[in-house]
Amino acid sequence: MAKIERTQKLFLKSLKEKFQGQDVQSETTEFYKFNGYHQSPRKEEFVKASRAVEMDRGISMYDPVRCHLGGIPLGQRQLMTYEVSGTGVFVEGDDLHFVNNAAMQQMWDDIRRTVIVNMDLAHQTLQKRLGKEVTPETINEYLHVLNHAMPGAAVVQEHMVETHPGLVDDCYVKVFTGDQELADDLEPQFVLDVEKLFPGKQAEALSAAVGKSLWQAIHIPTTVSRTCDGGTTSRWSAMQIGMSFIGAYRMCAGEAAVADLSYAAKHAGVIQMASHLPARRARGPNEPGGIGFGLFSDIIQANRKYPNDPAKASLEVVGAGTMLFDQIWLGSYMSGGVGFTQYATAAYTDNILDEFTYYGMDYIKDKYKVDWKNPSADDKVKPTYDIVNDISTEVALNGMEQYEQYPTMMEDHFGGSQRAGVLAAASGLSASIATGNSNAGLNAWYLCMLLHKDGWSRLGFFGYDLQDQCGSANSLSIRGDEGAIGEVRGPNYPNYAMNVGHQGEYAAITGGAHYGRGDAWCFDPRVKICFADPALKFDFAEPRREFAKGAIREFMPAGERSLIIPAR
Amino acid sequence: MNEVKENMAYKPQYGPGTSNVAANRRKQMDPNQKLEKMRDVTDEDIVLILGHRAPGAAYPTAHPPLAEQQEPDCPIRKIVTPTEGAKAGDRVRYIQFADSMFFAPCQPYQRTYTECYRFRGIDPGTLSGRQIVECRERDLEKYSKELIETELLDPARTGIRGATVHGHSLRLAENGMMFDMLQRSVLGEDGIVRYVKNQIGEPLDRAVAVGKPLDEKWLKAHTTIFHSLGGTAYRDDKEYVEYVQRIHTLRTKYGFLPKEA
Repeated sequence: MAKIERTQKLFLKSLKEKFQGQDVQSETTEFYKFNGYHQSPRKEEFVKASRAVEMDRGISMYDPVRCHLGGIPLGQRQLMTYEVSGTGVFVEGDDLHFVNNAAMQQMWDDIRRTVIVNMDLAHQTLQKRLGKEVTPETINEYLHVLNHAMPGAAVVQEHMVETHPGLVDDCYVKVFTGDQELADDLEPQFVLDVEKLFPGKQAEALSAAVGKSLWQAIHIPTTVSRTCDGGTTSRWSAMQIGMSFIGAYRMCAGEAAVADLSYAAKHAGVIQMASHLPARRARGPNEPGGIGFGLFSDIIQANRKYPNDPAKASLEVVGAGTMLFDQIWLGSYMSGGVGFTQYATAAYTDNILDEFTYYGMDYIKDKYKVDWKNPSADDKVKPTYDIVNDISTEVALNGMEQYEQYPTMMEDHFGGSQRAGVLAAASGLSASIATGNSNAGLNAWYLCMLLHKDGWSRLGFFGYDLQDQCGSANSLSIRGDEGAIGEVRGPNYPNYAMNVGHQGEYAAITGGAHYGRGDAWCFDPRVKICFADPALKFDFAEPRREFAKGAIREFMPAGERSLIIPAR
Repeated sequence: MNEVKENMAYKPQYGPGTSNVAANRRKQMDPNQKLEKMRDVTDEDIVLILGHRAPGAAYPTAHPPLAEQQEPDCPIRKIVTPTEGAKAGDRVRYIQFADSMFFAPCQPYQRTYTECYRFRGIDPGTLSGRQIVECRERDLEKYSKELIETELLDPARTGIRGATVHGHSLRLAENGMMFDMLQRSVLGEDGIVRYVKNQIGEPLDRAVAVGKPLDEKWLKAHTTIFHSLGGTAYRDDKEYVEYVQRIHTLRTKYGFLPKEA
């Protein structure tokens, strides 16, 4: 380890904006003079809104003066705004809770309502078992029928109820294939064109991996998956697929052979976004706890848009992952309340993790000659103990020194778990991008945790420390139930299932290993293609920008209900 | 208090490091080294700050005194001598500290290690912004007196806080006090810090003085936290960093190939 020069401090603009008129390197400040919650326009809005609700329903609600700690409201120190990292947009912290942020909700909606279904088996069954001809024309016709049926319309029976298109406008089906000739023969409105959506090398690799098979990227209505759950997605999709095949190919609805088609078309080639969870967690497929880290890194598309910046691509995964895994999964599915949000946002606000990570990029370039701006498998460093320890140590020490030298930054990340997650993420990302090995990245994460704990004699909270103080031992193990390669670990991995501030970062460390190599995908090329779709409500290439739009109330989500409720 | 027996085969090293920070850590942990007494706080004042019972009130009990209850025939109970609080059947109560990262003399894990070496019958818990130790009530009062009166505490940068502990990582107030939303302790014009609320934030009938804040020079000389701005940079204690790297590497190897460890 040896400190390198880096004059750019990405977090300085944020600190100066947050602590206006103050010296951001000063060790002292003033407290107890900020008039409590009144310093926050958003909390003032909450009080006003609550008064209206109380008048309407006759039950008390938000009352910070009376209910917060026996009459001492929030705001005895300065309540800060936050810059969503990489966007230049400053937002209220409250607006990064998913309840207050429509973009965050939609990101999860768009994942949960997605399923990928193979068409080849169905086409073979149609041709061989039912004697039907399958051509680009029949496929186009089927896709017309399916895009009528998938949102909730009838295709075979008479006198059926149907859904209002204005309520399910986010529901549709597209297809993709590695066979460019076939893709060119299909109607463009239905095609995810790999060649147009991805940079050249990525497109080439993805097309080769998918080959001649044809896949449907299906997004059921947001409203449906919200009213039901992630397990509904494949069921809703399967029913509409079956009816559409019957309608489009003029099949007998009761013929025994249709059972063969049903299995082939609806169930034989289904890719869920998440595996179902064990009974103790009691969730079906397509719920957050079952999303593998490699697959999540494929859902996020920043490496497609920014192929020459694996650090940025990884940081976007951190933002999306902490939002989904910390704020929604652990913070609400598995626990409750609002504390998880305060914690998780540290990893994607104020450019602090960004700065630490780019320091790591400078370091791996300076010391190991990794040309990280031109991602390639050729210049990756061998992940030896010495090298991983060296990268992790230098990035960890640099981050700690930055916190020490900018007391306002320490105040920004006022919780130890916030700092621990950010420091370890920078260490892990630097090692994974340098080595192209996700487990080396995880190993670096855990060394950072131990260094941090001994340097400052503190780390996070009880459970946080439990996970991180024994993590070294499982970071390179791949024995059943004791370890796995990073790509197939996930939120439900035994030692990861318990606490906040890790899972989004682990996903990014996994992704970083591949982004640093210039790989087109991390775990599943079909998932990478599916979420490249520009028609999705949420832009998975820019999750942090989308969250910022949500926070300033400029993001338009799906799930419209105004058509069926009284006008306000 | 514990004493390390001289005939033990193992001699505790109390941690690595060549820096002043490392030496301070070892001194605090080593029960054979006496902690410097910095102030006098009466037993009654300790009870007031803790807030678990009124001064002079009897100790509430969780069970009858051990001598009066039927003890099972347990070999462990024959080996372990109960503390005074356990003998009497006291409740388990707590004291919790918040330590400023600006050179407070003790820090969370350091506190836990120190307590484990020096005290018996305790259950410490360590977080980033606070450290709690739980034990039988009369034992707690004895341990608390040591924790408050000695060099482990600075009246300005160490807080005794049961809830709403937030402050360890914040800038200091301009008078040098660590932020406390509840302002349990205040710095008087006479330069003395007084607790006006107990550790859980309930107002006290009378203020409890805990002395003057220690000066910056003393704090930096006695600190147990590495700090590159005005203190000892972590990276400058190479032995310490290499020790942590070694622990990490051995744990990693043991995780997948134990025979190499």
